[in-house]
Amino acid sequence: MAEKTKPKTYVRFTASQRFEHLVLLVSFSVLALTGIPQKYASHDWAKTMIDVLGGIESIRIVHRMMAVLLIIDSIYHGCIIAYKIIVRGSRLTMAPTLKDARDVWDWLRFNLGFKREHPHMPRFNFGEKAEYLAVVWGTLLMALTGFMLWNPIATTQILPGEWIPAARAAHGAEAVLAVLSILSWHMYNVHLKRFNKSMFTGKISREEMVEEHGAELAELENPKQPRRLEIPPEILAKRERFFWRFAIVVSAVIVAALLWFVTFEDSAITTVPRLSAVGDITTDIDPAEVGDPAKGPDIWQKLDCASCHGERAEGISVRGLPLAGTSLSFESFVISVRRGPAEMPGFNAGQVSDEELAHLWLWLIALPAPGTR
Amino acid sequence: MTRRTLHIISCMIVGGALLLAAWMMVAAPAPAFGQGDPPPDRNNGYCFVCHAQPDQAYTLPDGTTLDITIDPAALAGSVHGDSNPVRALGCVNCHGDITYPHLDLPPADARSYRVRAAAACATCHTDQAADLADGVHYTALASGDLRAATCVDCHGSHAIQPPDESREHISTTCGTCHQIAFAEYRQSVHGEALFAGDPNVPTCVDCHGVHGIQHPTTALFRNRSPELCATCHADDALMKEYGISTNVFNSYLTDFHGATVQLFEQQDPNVATNKAVCFDCHGVHDIARADDNKGRVVRENLLETCQQCHPDASSNFPASWVGHYEPTTDEYPLLFAVNTFYLILIPGVLGGFALLIGSDIYRRIRQRRQG
Repeated sequence: MAEKTKPKTYVRFTASQRFEHLVLLVSFSVLALTGIPQKYASHDWAKTMIDVLGGIESIRIVHRMMAVLLIIDSIYHGCIIAYKIIVRGSRLTMAPTLKDARDVWDWLRFNLGFKREHPHMPRFNFGEKAEYLAVVWGTLLMALTGFMLWNPIATTQILPGEWIPAARAAHGAEAVLAVLSILSWHMYNVHLKRFNKSMFTGKISREEMVEEHGAELAELENPKQPRRLEIPPEILAKRERFFWRFAIVVSAVIVAALLWFVTFEDSAITTVPRLSAVGDITTDIDPAEVGDPAKGPDIWQKLDCASCHGERAEGISVRGLPLAGTSLSFESFVISVRRGPAEMPGFNAGQVSDEELAHLWLWLIALPAPGTR
Repeated sequence: MTRRTLHIISCMIVGGALLLAAWMMVAAPAPAFGQGDPPPDRNNGYCFVCHAQPDQAYTLPDGTTLDITIDPAALAGSVHGDSNPVRALGCVNCHGDITYPHLDLPPADARSYRVRAAAACATCHTDQAADLADGVHYTALASGDLRAATCVDCHGSHAIQPPDESREHISTTCGTCHQIAFAEYRQSVHGEALFAGDPNVPTCVDCHGVHGIQHPTTALFRNRSPELCATCHADDALMKEYGISTNVFNSYLTDFHGATVQLFEQQDPNVATNKAVCFDCHGVHDIARADDNKGRVVRENLLETCQQCHPDASSNFPASWVGHYEPTTDEYPLLFAVNTFYLILIPGVLGGFALLIGSDIYRRIRQRRQG
């Protein structure tokens, strides 16, 4: 074949693949920007980043939104791969082979000058396979550990509690590994040594094909070897019918799972309002309305308050505080009686009702305080 | 001029002189301390003619009574008495607004009188008064709640002694009004130690402040509270005495709760966050030892503590809090394994990348040189 008849560029990525990559690029970058400073939150640079990006609670929400976007991208990718394998019978071009290991070795020897010619590499060379598989592994791990951190209550219904901090450690360390890999390996190979624009234009130059995908180029230029297996249309139609049913069911299940994932538990995001130091004891009774101070002394005797606080609530040294003329609000009074501060026993609503406490409180506040100053 | 007229005139002269002398003594302005002025004419004896009489109670219009007996010995033995390094105070230094004879209308009730009388302290104790003006007690007073503590409610009036001798006296004083908080504190690990003579444990004022006490339920107080606990609990020298790890603060800050609270503290200190702070788990006044089986944070009780904020938490959940531990092969082995795995994996992977990238750069430079 004469040189001039050979094409100058080759199609490398379809529009769909480029779109997938764009979504991955956006979600990964935002996840890294909002996630890494959370891991290093005690460092000043991380605090500045968090502040600039809108504060910790905001970046947590953005992080979760981007996580959902990345998972949707991954589901889409899974469907495409399944279609190619099931319907089109495509080869697993991303599967690592023994030749890849040889290529690494040959590439290193070539670089160091021990080998004259670089290895002829397939459609996806070892560097690209490593990166792709790392993305697959990383996304799976991040989604799983992210789920645990998002839904710690649900996770610990099944798994031991220790899995939560372990998931947090793995989520953070895997993120560091991913970001550093992108900044070193990906940055060098597709941006620095030569700006490889194929992921945006879809095309790759012949020169790059020679250097990085020599084996693929040879296949493409071998007229005897058809690039793709021709499948009879009726078989293709049959496979497609099967695939669509399969894909719709599986996607629906995964999307449902995703929805469940996102909405399963509020606890980790909003928590319930922090209960105040007084616990969850409340009363909605208005003592002035329902209380009768005349009934107070009977309740005082019934609960045996007198044995510590004195017959007339004047207090007994070391045992019980004076309560006559107390300045406690009714609510604080109820809380104190229910909780039983320090040595005092707590009294639940079965032992003394809120209404009875209203009688008691009205009686106590009207008593003359001992030793009025 | 008759003898009678002379007698009236001389009586008027003597009486007027006496009245003038009394006015000069009583109405003298309260002096400022330490300015090198000569000591005021104390002449407390003039007041003591009446006020040293025992067991005198003065009934005010609303029926409340004011104890108007002063013990001269107690006054002399107080911080404002003979031992004062600058000078001993006279009655008029504080009660400069009272004239003799007491012609002013008395205040309506004893409490109003005390609140008004306490204002005199600010004449000399200006720093404390300025702090107090920022505090909750003064804010309450200013809004009309006369129950709020004034200077004299905590320090006393005529028999004032140094407020921190002994240290437990500080907390006992607060307990006069804050009875429940004090009762809880008294049984807590800090309170028990204080009353056993421990000189290091916090009294009320160590956490709440002295005069400028801030409301402890604000977002600001809450966001700053971990650092408050850390003032002692991250102090190596202090904690060594008790065998308590000072890693508690750092391990809290690296955890989800602590990292969030610290960010709020530094970036939005007045915005409330529901992430747990020290006292949410350890308790406020009733803090117990971490291994106290009645405490909130001992393993048996931890689930209930977590459920305060995470009501659906199951029995596995509390173990998701690493409990201020450093993960080791014994404590949190899974976490330890994950950390170790990445400690090897990350440098391994990046080292491999560095080797391949470095060799590639080396080849490209070599090729360019060769042309």
